[in-house]
Order: sequence, then C-alpha cells, then structure tokens
Amino acid sequence: MGVVILLLMAAGVAAMLTRRLPTAFALVLLAVAIAFAAGAPLTGKNSVLDTVLQEGAPALAATMIAILLGSWLGKLLEETGIAATLVRKIVEFGGDRPVFVALGVLAVSALVGTVTGSAPAAMLAGLIGIPAMIAVGIPKVTAAGTILMGIAVGIPFELPVWQFFSTALELPVDTVRGFMLKLFPFALVAAVAYVLVESRRRGVEHTWSLTSVRGESKPRSRRQLLGDAPWYALLTPVVPLVLALGFELAIIPSLLAGVLYALVTTTPPREMNRRLLRTLYGGFEVAAAPITLFVAIGILLAAVKLPGAVDALEPLVKAVSPQNAVLFVLVFTLLVPLCLYRGPLNVFGLGAGIAGVLIATGIYPATAVLGMATSYNQVFGVADPTSTQTVWSAQYAGVSPQQVMVRTLPYVWAVALGGLCVTAATQL
Amino acid sequence: MSGDHGLSLGHDPDLDHDHDLDLAVRLLAGTPTHEGRDPLLLRRWAEAAEEFGRRMTPDPAPVRVVERDGGLAAGLLARYRSRPPVVEVYVDTVDRAERLITQRGWRHWFPEGSVLAAALAHEQAHAWLHHAHVRAEFKRALGHTALRLGRRRLYAHVAGADELAAHAYARAACGLGRSPLLLTEALAAACSESEK
Repeated sequence: MGVVILLLMAAGVAAMLTRRLPTAFALVLLAVAIAFAAGAPLTGKNSVLDTVLQEGAPALAATMIAILLGSWLGKLLEETGIAATLVRKIVEFGGDRPVFVALGVLAVSALVGTVTGSAPAAMLAGLIGIPAMIAVGIPKVTAAGTILMGIAVGIPFELPVWQFFSTALELPVDTVRGFMLKLFPFALVAAVAYVLVESRRRGVEHTWSLTSVRGESKPRSRRQLLGDAPWYALLTPVVPLVLALGFELAIIPSLLAGVLYALVTTTPPREMNRRLLRTLYGGFEVAAAPITLFVAIGILLAAVKLPGAVDALEPLVKAVSPQNAVLFVLVFTLLVPLCLYRGPLNVFGLGAGIAGVLIATGIYPATAVLGMATSYNQVFGVADPTSTQTVWSAQYAGVSPQQVMVRTLPYVWAVALGGLCVTAATQL
Repeated sequence: MSGDHGLSLGHDPDLDHDHDLDLAVRLLAGTPTHEGRDPLLLRRWAEAAEEFGRRMTPDPAPVRVVERDGGLAAGLLARYRSRPPVVEVYVDTVDRAERLITQRGWRHWFPEGSVLAAALAHEQAHAWLHHAHVRAEFKRALGHTALRLGRRRLYAHVAGADELAAHAYARAACGLGRSPLLLTEALAAACSESEK
C-alpha cells in the first residue's frame, strides 16, 4: 500500500509540474486519494470526511491569521508610503554607488520579508526598488535577485512562517524561533555575497531605452502627493520583530502591534477607521492565495498522519532515509533541486506532506525535519521559477524567472547546505 | 506633439528648447523615487543635469563596440556594460531612427549617421559619470540635499539625472539641433503604432 501512496504522490507532483491543477487543488485531491488508499473509512474516527477534510482544513488556522495580518501590515506599508520612502532614501544617499543602493534595497527587502512573504513582499520592496536599482546601473537579473535574496534574509524572522512550522510540525514556537536564528546568518551572508559578487562580476549597465520618456503624467492621487513617511514610521517593520523576538510576545499580537504602529505614525485620527478597513480588505485579497494553500496543506497533513498511511509508508521511507549525519547532509543537499518547480520537496506543497510522513513515522525527530524544511524554504523562496515572488520580480525587471534561478541558485543552495549542517550537528 | 514640432518648418528655438526640457522633466517624473515631486523642482534638476552634460569632457577611453539586432523588440537603442567595458549598438533601432528622421523632416537637427554617433557618445558619457570625482561634481551641480549638519551638506543622488546628462553630452558632442529625447519619444511612438 505504501507504494500506491508514493505513486499517488508522484501523480500529484506531475499534476502540479504540468500545471494541470493548481497546487492547492492537487494537494486536496492527493490527500483524499491517500486517505482512501490508506484504508480510511468515509466518516468517523481517522476518516476521510471527518478527520482529513473537517479537521485538516482549519488545522493551520493560526498560520492563516498570521498570514492575513502580515498582508494587512504589508498593505499599510504600501499605502502609507513607508516602503517607498525607505527605498527613496537609500537611492538618495547611495545612488552614485550602485552596490550601496543594492545593499540598501537588500536591507529593505529583508525588513519587508519579516512582515509578509511571497509576491506582496517582492512588490513592496521591488515596485520602486527594482527600477531604482536599474536606474543607477545595476543589471536587471542582479536587481531582481537582490529583491529575492533580501526577502530570504527576512524569512527566518517572518512571524507567519514561524507559526506555520510550529503548527504543521507540532513544535513550540520557541523551538522554531531557535532554529531560525541559526539559519539567519547563512541567509544574510549569502545575500550580501550575492550583491557584492554579482555587482563585481557584472559591473554596471546603462541603456538608451525607448521607454525612458513616458507620456504626460496623470494627476497624482492625494496619497502620492503626501510625500515621504515620517522617519519614525520607517521603524514599522521592526516593531513586530522586536516584540516577538525581544519580548517573546505571541505572533498575532506582535503583528497587530505593527499594524497599530504604522497607523498611528502615519495617519490623522479622522482617517484611521477608513484606512484600517481599506487596508484590511486589501490584505484579504493578498492573503487569499496563501490561505487557500494552507487549507490544502492542513488537509494533506491530516491525510499522511492517518494511522493507515503511517503504517504503509514507514518501512519504505525508513529504507531510503539516511541516518548517518554526513549522509543526511549529503543526500538532502543533493536533493535541493527537488524543491524547485513545485517539486516534491517544496515545503508549501507536497514537501509539507513528506515532512509530516517523516515525523509521523518517527524516522527523524521533528526538530530535524524543521531544519530540513526551513533550509529548503530558503531555496524555494528565492530560486523557484514558479513561485510568485520570483515570477513577479523577474518579469518586473524585464528578465525571465529562469535567468534569476540560474543566478541565485548557487547562493541559496549554499544556505540550504548550511542549514542542513546545523540540523545534522544539533538534531541528529 | 513631437510630430507638430517636426512638421513646422519655421520652428521657434525657444519653443524647441522648452519642449526638450519638458521631455527631460517627463523622464525624471517617470523615474522611480520621484513620485509626487514638485514639477518645478524636477525642472530645475533637469536644467542642471543638461547643463552639466553639455560641459562634460569625458576621456576618450577605448571601448569595444558591438553591433546587435533585436533592439526594437527590446525597446533599446544602445547599452553600455562596464564588465568588460562594451557598448552594444542595436542596429535595427538605429536604422529605424534614421528612417524616422527622414520621414519627419528632422535631418537638419539629426544629420545622416548622427544616431549611431549619439548612441556611442551617450554610452561614453555614462561610463564617465561613474568616476568618483565626476559623480561628486554632478551631485553638487544638482544641489539636492540629503542631509544637513550645521554648515555641512551631504548631497543626494537624483535618479535619472545621469540619463539627462548623457543625452545632453551626446547632443553637444554630435552637434545635434535637438535633444536625443525627442528622437527617443518619436521612436517609442512609432514602434507602438507599428505594433497595433
């Protein structure tokens, strides 16, 4: 029966890779198929309807709320001009040295990446950051990669991600936070190295572009005319981080504090209600795609944790999973490309199910699976040409996602290697 | 608007100058980081950048020139890359520009072969603007303050201004009657029309 489940997983990956089905739909269908293959009854205890669908769908509810709050805060950063002001100041201070601008935009992307992820994070930093970098001479591929590498620096501090791994892997938030702090230096060093090495290798480029002279500008909206956000409002992205990391406050109140801080520092009292509601509704739109995915992942996790699935998969997975620390690092580092193109190790896809199998069968401790999943997440978040942030950044810069993947993959592969080494040294 | 300018044989130099400056202001206004900036401030920066570009005297450093196709599809006329130093000239765009100049009756502003010469001069200016002492002078000329501590001022970078300086240098070096931005705008319009 284990072989049947693995074949079903392979079919699910094929459906996602060939884009026959959206990832979320493929995961739900896969979960139901796995549950039936594992011999689960239709209703009752450990069943398809009651356990997999009913209990699985809201299993990652805390993550969904965190994603929503992150998206809300992201909308506020956009509407109040906080993100734009940060980029503008960086260009003004360092614009004549392109590498300084790239490092500054990298820092802004990292800050934004701690608040929200995926395409919204890329847009917040990249809408002004990418053309600003290109305007000072940074080549397009380097500019797109800088945004993505910056967001990846923020990922270890992205509170919704902490919540996701905590709920999905059934680990305390403290444990997730502890490992993320160990992963952060690798992400930081790789990102800075990317900017410095790529700037040195590629130098600067300037174009005589036919699109440089735009049409007559449209009348500006009031928001656009408001100008720079005040300096103290620029601290907004740090507020949730300081509360969650420094004061060990829970994730949802930390994010809410960030929302309130952004509001109070940028908005006159008479406009607060309208802005709060407008940005919250905007946040729902941004969060719709990831929330859908988390519903599907919750369902898949519930399916692979069914006793029948665990019993069927345990001997197979045990046979191919390296127990030796060196082999663990070697094998899982070589498997890094499998998290690209919605592959089977993508933690926001089937990879979550595989992580669930590894924990449920007791092959690795949950903390080791955490190390593995978060290491892969650093790769997926930057180099996967099918992830929304990579597609958006590349296309906005005027290059292909594959070009960005080729340029960034060596750096994020090194980050994954670092994360896996730490995992093997501390968790196995 | 550009078409009207081209067709009027008895053109007014002041009007031409104003139109060139308008194009420069529009380039700055369309450059990220200038959203919501006062148009008068942009106009002042555009004038300063063009003045700086006109007076530039770049070293005639040897740069490899490569001719390429596909410029019209990519929306490019030329590209400068610093590592290794190379200027790529998109010959299809240059040919289209030359034909457009003839069609619009702009030959007195842009003599035969001047587009290629302007492209090379433009990219040469960009290379020159990357020298530290030139950058410092350019920022002082623009006069945009990033930070002021007592009598000390830290000048800010103005995104897009180097493009204006490069165009102004190309115009001066090649003896063009109008800003290369006029040609850029007309080319963009012609390309978008032919796509329709």
